[in-house]
Amino acid sequence: MTVTDVPMAPQSPAARRGGRGFAPVLPALALVVLVFVIPVLALLLRSVLEPAPGLQNYATFFGSTTYLKVLGNTFLVAFTVTVVTVLLGFPVAWFLAIAPSFWSRLLFAIVILSMWTNLLARTYAWMVLLQRTGVINRTLMNLGLISEPLPLINNLVGVTIGMTYIMLPFMILPLHATIRSIDPAIFQAASLCGASRFQAFTRVMLPLTASGIAAGALMVFVMSLGYFITPALLGGTANMMLAELIAQLVQSLLDWGLAGAAALVLLVITLAIYMVQLRFFGFGQARG
Amino acid sequence: MLLDFARLGPWRVALSLIALLVGAYLLLPILLIVALSFGSSQWLQFPPPGWTLRWYEDLFDDPEWIASFLTSFKIAAVVTVLSVGIGLMASFGLTRGTFRGRQALRALFLTPMILPVVVLAVALYAFFLRLHLNGTFLGFVLAHLVIALPFSIIAISNALERFDRDIETAAIVCGASPLEAKIRVTLPGIRLGLISAAIFSFLASWDEVVIAIFMASPDLQTLPVRIYGTLRQDLSPVIAAVSTLLIALTAALMAAAALLRKDDRS
Amino acid sequence: MSFLEIANISKTFGNVTAVSDVSLEIARGEFVTFLGPSGSGKSTTLYMIAGFFEPTRGDVRLEGRSILSEPSNKRNIGMVFQRYTLFPHLSVAENVAFPLRVRRRPAAEIAGKVEEMLALVRLESFAGRMPAQLSGGQQQRVALARALAYNPPLLLMDEPLSALDKKLREEIQDEIRRIHRQTGVTILYVTHDQEEALSLSDRIALFNHGKIEQLGKGRELYEAPRTRFVADFIGHSNFLDCTIARSHGGFADITLPDGSALERVAVHGDARAGGRGGLMIRPDRLRLSPLRGENGPGIDVVLSDATFIGETYHFVLTTGWGASVNMRMPASLARADDVTIGTNLRLHWEASDASLFGQ
Repeated sequence: MTVTDVPMAPQSPAARRGGRGFAPVLPALALVVLVFVIPVLALLLRSVLEPAPGLQNYATFFGSTTYLKVLGNTFLVAFTVTVVTVLLGFPVAWFLAIAPSFWSRLLFAIVILSMWTNLLARTYAWMVLLQRTGVINRTLMNLGLISEPLPLINNLVGVTIGMTYIMLPFMILPLHATIRSIDPAIFQAASLCGASRFQAFTRVMLPLTASGIAAGALMVFVMSLGYFITPALLGGTANMMLAELIAQLVQSLLDWGLAGAAALVLLVITLAIYMVQLRFFGFGQARG
Repeated sequence: MLLDFARLGPWRVALSLIALLVGAYLLLPILLIVALSFGSSQWLQFPPPGWTLRWYEDLFDDPEWIASFLTSFKIAAVVTVLSVGIGLMASFGLTRGTFRGRQALRALFLTPMILPVVVLAVALYAFFLRLHLNGTFLGFVLAHLVIALPFSIIAISNALERFDRDIETAAIVCGASPLEAKIRVTLPGIRLGLISAAIFSFLASWDEVVIAIFMASPDLQTLPVRIYGTLRQDLSPVIAAVSTLLIALTAALMAAAALLRKDDRS
Repeated sequence: MSFLEIANISKTFGNVTAVSDVSLEIARGEFVTFLGPSGSGKSTTLYMIAGFFEPTRGDVRLEGRSILSEPSNKRNIGMVFQRYTLFPHLSVAENVAFPLRVRRRPAAEIAGKVEEMLALVRLESFAGRMPAQLSGGQQQRVALARALAYNPPLLLMDEPLSALDKKLREEIQDEIRRIHRQTGVTILYVTHDQEEALSLSDRIALFNHGKIEQLGKGRELYEAPRTRFVADFIGHSNFLDCTIARSHGGFADITLPDGSALERVAVHGDARAGGRGGLMIRPDRLRLSPLRGENGPGIDVVLSDATFIGETYHFVLTTGWGASVNMRMPASLARADDVTIGTNLRLHWEASDASLFGQ
């Protein structure tokens, strides 16, 4: 037994009733309640109060093909981005875990640099790369592969490319930690048991990394659902995503009720996915 | 076998190829911006026809860019101090307290980090309209503090949980008062957690753009708001110059963090 | 008036009683060990003296004055912890100086004291090192120096060697003994290791279920255990179940499960005729012979396991009714026959080496 294994004796009468140490969390609690809980709840309340009490905002949202298309776009982009980040992120995480130290460190530094670089700077780079007269189109035309510039920007293609770029580190880093935690001797054992490389991969490696893949995928999916900046800059007005819609409803249309309804839809989906993650994978992996 | 690079066989080639391509995908856009910021082409031609410092001169000659840079820095600095201070207190409460509902409280404090920021941005915009806080320094600080606090609490709580509390008890037995023991022994013991809390809090505010877009007024704009506003009009090479400075800042912080870790190991 | 007086202290956590009515008087300069299994209340008692817990009842008096109203940092007590509690950001010298700095002593005095303390634990050349650069044993020696730097009249040690390996443990035990002799400080030492307790202490308080089961010199506890728990904890004794045939004046006649009878066995505790009891024999007081023939009490056994552990053999013997008996024998005395598994042997002991604990 050490000193801290035993609960410290309560000192004050008030403490004896409800436990100690609450006072220091008060400033944080006040901040989060005043600047987070109340404003968000107020916004959600407006969805059932404005312009008149009732659920008409939700009827409008789910009854309009325009808004359903926005929801569809959002899911389509989030899903595509998630699949591509898994397919690209897994081999990269694997490489990082086992490659000779110089190469893995170099790649690791690139992943971290890209993750920490200002979001707008990265989005700007993709605007430059993807525009009609951008580097990619120009190169392809110079090579004679295309005669007309490809429409790479102001549509969902551009959004998907840019978002994949931004989400990749969030897949690579947790997966890297998962693969690093596997004991290499397991594969020597699998090999001695007669498993081929392919069998060792499908029967040992994939099951051992499945929870890491699922945790990373859920996180990328949920972050993609609510992303605002990259879709706003790389996407087109014709193919809006949910976060942009909320912003538009407030900034251009001043329709606070409908904005509140759209925000609630986004919140419910987000929280539901995080609940799944908490339930099955614990909180530790939620942020890698 | 599968975790031994030398014995991956044909898979090694495939793995290395994908790693190379993804590495290029992640790195080339960043290098491109740096190159374009020194390129002479107004139209962002690549490779640039010539080299120039003109875009940096434009940037530093424009008082509005300088003003937004300073605004961002001031807000981020105040947010960092408050976030580490409030986060430190909250972390002591969450890791040392014995009151009920600590887990729920911790989850509540971390929620602003996982919710879509656009929801918070719209909600705060509406809330601050009533309080006349939009476009004010205080408004920016409060909003960014909510975003930064979770990073602070995670970093400091983790450090506090790893810190052996018997060391603090030992200081008290040695004659230090409980407060003195915390200041002279516990805080130095968790200093890496405090430093990373400060770095993350600073970056959370410095890079925050969505809330800032809603709250900014023509008189008070943070750097990301100005970049965003400019980007919506044209892809000026001045943005490449700003971005390059931001990338340099990131690289410097990464290097500092790496040095810090190395220093701590020795 | 004794130096340290623990008077009827008790401690309950919720409805769990950790320490129940413990009293103890300790003389100045004495080395007393609290020995016992985990959860026996020995550490809790120490923490009440250190001031980490308030006793539910009772008093702790140092030189006749109650210290309970003083917080830990005003009690002027030294303490060495189980885990390494050196301040990781301070050098060895700064660690030792810490208690003097918080007492705002003049710099010259601090420097002199640090030098003196590091010399005491023989780590003068390590003054500038950081804790992370020291071995576990060195860290605990620095912790000892830090705890003694302010000349506390009382030094508490809470299983300070439990994180170290066996060889280092023995080395540091020697150091602790030497430092105790050199400084004359009163030491209260907590451990669950009976060998450590026996080798270090003037007196041992053996704790069980929140009470002191027996208090005395190590040899007293070993040779005259008052309860079966004490006999079991000190010396890993064997206990053979038996039936008490007759009880008379501190002695009893007993019957073992195979029917063999033993007369005039010394009795500890309460033994009623017709009741059951445990016959205690120490593993190192047993002898083996190939066949019956030797006089004195004994039973037939089969050798079921033999382990060579350096200077001694450790045997496990099985009695006719299936009970196991442990015994130790110097390797030089063991014959080839003795170590063949399955051999039938006869186990003997001197009548004075066995005693009976009633149930």
